[in-house]
Amino acid sequence: MLMLTEFGKVFIFILLGAIFVTIAIIAAKLVSPNRPTHEKLLTYECGENPVGSPWVKFNIRFYVVALIFLIFDVEVVLLFPWALVYKGFGIFGFLTGIIFLVILGLGMAYEWRKGDLEWARPHPIPPELDKVLSKKE
Amino acid sequence: MDVSNIIESLKLIKPEIAVSASLILVLIFDLIFHKDKKLIPYVALLGLFATGYFVIHQFGTTGFGFATKSTFKAFGMVTVDSFGTFFKLLILISAVLVLFFSSFSDEIKKTTDRLGEYYVLIFGMILGMFLMVSATDFLLIYLSMELLSLSSYVLAGFTKLRDRNSEASLKYVIYGSVSSGLMLFGISIIYGLTGSTNLYVINSLIQSPQINVLALSFALILVMAGMGFKISAAPFHFWTPDVYEGSPITITAFLSVASKAAGFGLLIRFIKTGFAAMTLNNGYWMLNPIFDWKLIIVILAILTMTLGNFSALWQNNLKRMLAYSSIAHAGYLLLGLAVFSNQGIAAILIYFFVYMLMNLGAFLIVMLIADKLGSEDVDDYDGLGYTSPFLGISLAVFLVSLTGLPPTAGFIGKLYIFSALIDAKMFVVAVIGVLNSVVSLYYYIRVLKHMYLVKPKIQPVEIIPGLSQKFLVLLLVVPVLFFGIYFSPIVELAKNCVVLLGF
Amino acid sequence: MTLYDIIFYLFALITIGSAMLVVTTKNIVHAAFALLLTFFGVAGIYVLLAADFLAIVQIMVYVGGILVLIIFGVMLTNKITSVEIKTGTLNVLTASIVIGVFMGLVVSIMVWTGWYSMPAPIPATTAYGLGETLISDYALIFELLAMLLLIALVGAASIARREKESL
Repeated sequence: MLMLTEFGKVFIFILLGAIFVTIAIIAAKLVSPNRPTHEKLLTYECGENPVGSPWVKFNIRFYVVALIFLIFDVEVVLLFPWALVYKGFGIFGFLTGIIFLVILGLGMAYEWRKGDLEWARPHPIPPELDKVLSKKE
Repeated sequence: MDVSNIIESLKLIKPEIAVSASLILVLIFDLIFHKDKKLIPYVALLGLFATGYFVIHQFGTTGFGFATKSTFKAFGMVTVDSFGTFFKLLILISAVLVLFFSSFSDEIKKTTDRLGEYYVLIFGMILGMFLMVSATDFLLIYLSMELLSLSSYVLAGFTKLRDRNSEASLKYVIYGSVSSGLMLFGISIIYGLTGSTNLYVINSLIQSPQINVLALSFALILVMAGMGFKISAAPFHFWTPDVYEGSPITITAFLSVASKAAGFGLLIRFIKTGFAAMTLNNGYWMLNPIFDWKLIIVILAILTMTLGNFSALWQNNLKRMLAYSSIAHAGYLLLGLAVFSNQGIAAILIYFFVYMLMNLGAFLIVMLIADKLGSEDVDDYDGLGYTSPFLGISLAVFLVSLTGLPPTAGFIGKLYIFSALIDAKMFVVAVIGVLNSVVSLYYYIRVLKHMYLVKPKIQPVEIIPGLSQKFLVLLLVVPVLFFGIYFSPIVELAKNCVVLLGF
Repeated sequence: MTLYDIIFYLFALITIGSAMLVVTTKNIVHAAFALLLTFFGVAGIYVLLAADFLAIVQIMVYVGGILVLIIFGVMLTNKITSVEIKTGTLNVLTASIVIGVFMGLVVSIMVWTGWYSMPAPIPATTAYGLGETLISDYALIFELLAMLLLIALVGAASIARREKESL
């Protein structure tokens, strides 16, 4: 148990957080008056009346970005132990990580060049005065 | 492990380094010449030839690379020997051929803006396969299989032209991840039993009597699930027809030959290094009696070829038919393994060489016809034999060879497998194998019947292949016929390559 | 029963309970959120096994990455509200037999096997040891992982990217 003390603190922290939230919710349920109206039961959307279902189809770009994030996440996870110890291995240890980084940097360059990191920007055409006028005529 | 050891080991994996370098080169070319994709196939071809140079250079080299501190002998993760080099050469030749196929394929032409990715992923597959056939460490085995799988998942659904294409990719991913997960579970049990991932160390450790046989057998069956998936052996073959039918034909051809070859290379090496106590003077292996490999492999082989052959009987789609036929061929190849002798391995190598030629050839003809007809249905082949005699005769040669009839090379392959079986006194199994070949005759000949004997309902289209296409077909037809008559070069090559480093 | 055991069973309960919820709930979004608890519970077990680095990785990659991906995947589904996503069970009998046999095997193996074990001092932190093995013994694996990630990146982007024609 001794070596777990650091994680033990984290665990106690999480435990306390969970207990606190549970107590707060239960206490609120017990104490607060409950008089629901239609307005009160609506989903809170910054004070506006909500329009449509919140479950809409996401843009596929979210998914691509999440995928890229996940891959680089794994990369960071692998780099972290390397970064801790590479000094002890001299130039060889340095090169090992650099090759790793270069290969993945290439992946980054690929994403960049292929436009996967760009968001599809809307291209609004601003109305031009003379065109609007000519249409009216 | 000190640094000099790693540098020493790097010399052993030159072909793999060449493949990785080509992969990166193709990717960089794709990034620099963003608009113009004409150069990429040439760069890829150049990379393959460079790799080929290193592979051929490697013949005769033996050695262990990347030994870890814990492996008390000098055994490493990578084992280089003639057996592995043979498979690498096989994979490389089929890759070159598939590269040429791709330059003709209509499906690939429609996706030119992603051509760079196509070749990058093909190189990814090759890298995975190269490491698979020389891996003697579970970590490397798993990683290389994942490299191969990931690339082929994407390539199976690469063209995105039809729904079938995405279906193929999705099915491949789902079946593939289940089998890879099972394999990983098996590996973890073996690691728990022995405390090592190195096959050489595992070999010596599982000879101790403390090993729990139930646990080991369970783990090995799980590991077989992963490897059986790659070679599409019977209980793990469900993905094969759907994926082969839905993928672009070039990828189907590559999967059916190279991926299967890598799977077999891995399986053979796994059994030999992990379980053979020694090789007897007459070439038979003394396997560790803790697990009855012979029984398992024989059952798998019989199941695989029977299922493959009988399911192929009812297929109308040629790609699907060839998928089932490739399952059946995996069965014949497993028979060669079931002998567990150097003779059986030689037979497998011969068979694989021949299988590569005839199977790639059959897929090439199907592709050329499909590009014109837009269909792979056997009913649409009616009368094609007369309007397009060149393709008709070539397909006939390949199909006869796949059946295993003389005077084609397919006969030689089968002959060596069955004679290895008979030498090992496995008569019943040999008879089942021969009967299976007879069954396979029906569905191969059915295609020929449609091409030559069935009266077409509509006037069949005339398909005239271009000069380069004709040359490519001839490049495959001629060896199939030539090696059917004069086969001693392959036999010699295979016999020189049966030596696996290890016990 | 020590404190250690109590914490272990707590995490095991969290893991198994939420995993059951993942497979039994009809609502696919709820399943995704229950998966979060499963991953969390597994991370807790890793901590108890003194695999601190692995626990952080579990939280970072699974909770932070894969779960987000799964939720995006659910959200990406066309007409998510109108289509009833079927998470019912089929072939209950066959499945339970297969799973029963599998589980019986696994449990019996777990109980009866003498696992390979070595007395070793529990390291204060595992990240240094991992780094050292990654650089020295498994340098090849390390670089191959880079290649694998590159392939995954290229493959994932090329398959998820929308075609120019269809835009």
